[in-house]
Amino acid sequence: MSERLLLSTRKGLFVFDRGAQGWAQQAVHFLGDNLSYTLCDQRDGSWYAALNLGHFGCKLHRSSDQGESWTEIAVPAYAEQDRVGGGDGKEPQPAALQLLWTLAAGGADQPGRLWAGTIPGGLFRSDDHGASWYLLRGLWERPERERWFGGGYDWPGIHSICVDPRSSSELRVAVSCGGVWHSQDDGQTWTIRCRGMRADYMPPELSEDEAIQDPHCMVQCAKDPDQLWVQHHNGVFRSTDGGALWEEIKVPPSSFGFAVAVDPNDGQSAWFVPAVKDEKRVPVDARLCVVRTRDGGRSFQQLRSGLPEGPSYDLTYRHALAIDSSGQRLAFASTTGNLWVSEDQGDHWKQISGHLPPVAAVAFC
Amino acid sequence: MAKVSLGSALRRWIASADEQPADQLRFNAANLDELLRALFAHSPQLRGYVVDEHGRLRHHVTVFVNNTVVPSKTDLSQPLEVDSEVYIMQALSGG
Repeated sequence: MSERLLLSTRKGLFVFDRGAQGWAQQAVHFLGDNLSYTLCDQRDGSWYAALNLGHFGCKLHRSSDQGESWTEIAVPAYAEQDRVGGGDGKEPQPAALQLLWTLAAGGADQPGRLWAGTIPGGLFRSDDHGASWYLLRGLWERPERERWFGGGYDWPGIHSICVDPRSSSELRVAVSCGGVWHSQDDGQTWTIRCRGMRADYMPPELSEDEAIQDPHCMVQCAKDPDQLWVQHHNGVFRSTDGGALWEEIKVPPSSFGFAVAVDPNDGQSAWFVPAVKDEKRVPVDARLCVVRTRDGGRSFQQLRSGLPEGPSYDLTYRHALAIDSSGQRLAFASTTGNLWVSEDQGDHWKQISGHLPPVAAVAFC
Repeated sequence: MAKVSLGSALRRWIASADEQPADQLRFNAANLDELLRALFAHSPQLRGYVVDEHGRLRHHVTVFVNNTVVPSKTDLSQPLEVDSEVYIMQALSGG
């Protein structure tokens, strides 16, 4: 099982290690800086920390010694002529990097390959450990992108990148709000893949338009890669055929949320951290719970052991629920600065910290 | 009369005493600007959630007319037909 957690927070990258006394904070990097995502590259042990410095823009740092030292590397950049906008009536404007929303490592057969999902909607690729990046124009120039729009952010963005374990050249990405996309040629050409999803926030006749769907987070089962789960703005959707068709799953006590995790060894087991609804982003009845299914969404358990018994207003962002490679250990954190870990698939939770900055992302390392 | 529908977070500002359900509001209006004025006269509380103090559509508010997005936040002169369907939605953010 993974013995280390990396937490990307509003005020730094926090490292927690599991020692003889349990989980404890081991280090803080970039203290005071806003981190949007941190990738722990299992291929070579490198860490990549994505910073959003507001007035100073987005930055990317790499460490090859587990945070002992960091080197600032290149960030994705849009070309002069690239433009974004239109789908929601905002007037188009020049595209510029606004957020490094997610990072993903390429396959084991692709050393140095990294993927970056960004706002305003570009997918970027590096083949040299992040020393240089280029925009995947096969996706950027799809005509459907004109209909994309921002959900919580001003502009659309790519937050989920799944590299298929069977073939590193096969990719699936999820866009808020722009649907789920599939490539089988290293990202050169793309087709949209979210048939079955629906968007209640749109005019009724447009609710099944695939190019305006708002998947909040998408995960893929490592051992059974045709099994995918999406926590969508309008609920939970599951695919058992690689994303060709999605089935809506009703999750109690609420199908609204941001995060989803899938057991890497069992595509029927998934976890969620629900909130009331989009305009009320707090736990249902102020009782925080994690919800688990072990049978592909036919039944659910509301897991509360070790979570606050009294009123709680924690919200967990899309990247802040993680499962390790064993499928036994999970961790999640909230915008209220709480961190919990479970060693038994969520049956029991232990609070590790209650005093962190708002957490954007949690990753086992 | 043009029909108006509102996204879920905006529906709460529809005047509650009205006999019309919030998803079936109808107004006589020659263009979008007139329709919004009629809508705000009907439900004054809604105004500040849809437009700013200068009457411009708020940055995160989107209006569709007959399923086509209105491409401007400031030019609301788009003509409406008697059977036009107007849909007003909003993005939400935060955690």
